[in-house]
Amino acid sequence: MRAVLALANSIVSDALRRRIVYVVAAFAVVMAASIPALPSYGVGVVQPVFREAALALMWIASLIVVLALAANRIPSEIEKRTAYSVLTKPVQRWHYVLGTWLGITLVMAGVIAAFTVIDQAVALLVYKQAMWQLWEGSFGIWMEMSVLAALAVAVSTRGGAVVVAVSSLAFLFIGHSRENFVRGVGDSVLVKLYPSLDAFNIVNPVAHGSGISVPYAATMTLVFLAYVAVFVLLGGLAFSTRDL
Amino acid sequence: MTADDAAIRIVGAHKTYPRTLTIPAREAVRDVSLTVKTGTVHGVLGPNGAGKTTTIKMLLGLVRPSGGQFEILGVPAARAASRRCLGFLPEQPYFPPQLTAKQAMRLYGRLLGMSKREIAEQTADLLREVGLHDRAETQLSRFSRGMLQRLGIAQALLGKPQVVVLDEPASGLDPVGQRDVRSIILGLREAGVTVLLSSHQLSEVEAICDRVSIFNRGTVAAEGHIDELLSIAGRSSFVVACLDRLPANVGPLAHDVHDAHGGLGFSALTSNIQLIVDAVYAEGGSVVSVTPARTSLEDYFTGLLEQSPAAEQEVA
Repeated sequence: MRAVLALANSIVSDALRRRIVYVVAAFAVVMAASIPALPSYGVGVVQPVFREAALALMWIASLIVVLALAANRIPSEIEKRTAYSVLTKPVQRWHYVLGTWLGITLVMAGVIAAFTVIDQAVALLVYKQAMWQLWEGSFGIWMEMSVLAALAVAVSTRGGAVVVAVSSLAFLFIGHSRENFVRGVGDSVLVKLYPSLDAFNIVNPVAHGSGISVPYAATMTLVFLAYVAVFVLLGGLAFSTRDL
Repeated sequence: MTADDAAIRIVGAHKTYPRTLTIPAREAVRDVSLTVKTGTVHGVLGPNGAGKTTTIKMLLGLVRPSGGQFEILGVPAARAASRRCLGFLPEQPYFPPQLTAKQAMRLYGRLLGMSKREIAEQTADLLREVGLHDRAETQLSRFSRGMLQRLGIAQALLGKPQVVVLDEPASGLDPVGQRDVRSIILGLREAGVTVLLSSHQLSEVEAICDRVSIFNRGTVAAEGHIDELLSIAGRSSFVVACLDRLPANVGPLAHDVHDAHGGLGFSALTSNIQLIVDAVYAEGGSVVSVTPARTSLEDYFTGLLEQSPAAEQEVA
């Protein structure tokens, strides 16, 4: 586990020097500040719409950061041979995959937390409300993006940056299109095995409802853990059979 | 050599890279066996594509072997535990550029399971040994090629490994740096550390290696103690007295015949010594001296490759 944490720490320090993280953060500040300037949404819906827009922006920005950090991470480490100095230490290949995912996930946690604080600050300034429920939305987005990071890292053990980006976006699309793809097939195995990301659809209840319940959050966490475990396992297996 | 005093043991290594859409299957290494005795410096030589890097990568778990057995200090190389007492310097090492030299050493120390105190102590010592003590806090993105090479050596020695694998350790270093590397390797040998050294610098290998394996076309073309290899390959110089001309059966074996000290001087294959000596004495002459003319490793190496017409063929 120590090796995994050391690798994750290295990923975090690398992310902190990347311009993309700061560009996205600046973009988030500008966008969050400009949400209240949008045309009026109608009486009574101004704050829910602010929350919805804030979460949508956070989701997009997080997606960009995940792809920027995960897509080329392992391929470039193999190409530059930085992986050689790591993998010739007593480190298993799956440690490498898990450490890479953990590092990206920690960076995402920091980025999403920063976005949420910025959104809260804007809400406090404009609407005189802290909007604590934004953290529930942030939690859901972080989990979904962490799942996506696990997939991206797993694919990157074998594929290049373009393959990773396309696979990740395809997975997002498929994961959120369950109703379209399996409509009318009843309660078949196909429905049960469908790689759905519906558990992470939290924008509506957070923005317009009363937030997410504890059982819902627990279900979401289980789905998150299951996806991450499967992707890290597959990534570890794929990487362990790769010649470097 | 017994299996017990072997720090590295490779038996029947084989690697075939499978066919891809654009590249046909190719056999990079076939039936390579190699034993490196504990506490020795073993050189690995060969032209580009001879299979030496693939063999080293299989030993280190970076490439999956198609067949064969690999052991480091008696532990199968497929197990991560085999790398607990191993240090490796890759060819042209590169490190996370955002780290400082000290941070990079800390990262590798943590991967080795070392304590913070051990890492700090060894980092200071090793950076001093490779001449980077005044650059410990410098970001690696500002390091030159030679400085990265020095750091690569330092990280390979972190954790006081019992076996060190060095791939082109002098690459990118100035003459002073090359001398320092040679001194580090000799120091390791004195400390009982086993070193597997892959290098294109034949003079370096000749100066510091106890044994060498010469790879060619995916196999070990020659292996042995340097002195043995070079004397086997060499000729001996003869000086004989009391003869005006060479005996008839010696003539065809002698080369570069010349007058020497009132007798005759010539060179011949070392393997013909007995025959020549007997013939000289049978003709009433005497042998003044027989000096084994040791060839250089470079001559031996190029001679060996020239014997194989397809030596330049890319294999790995």
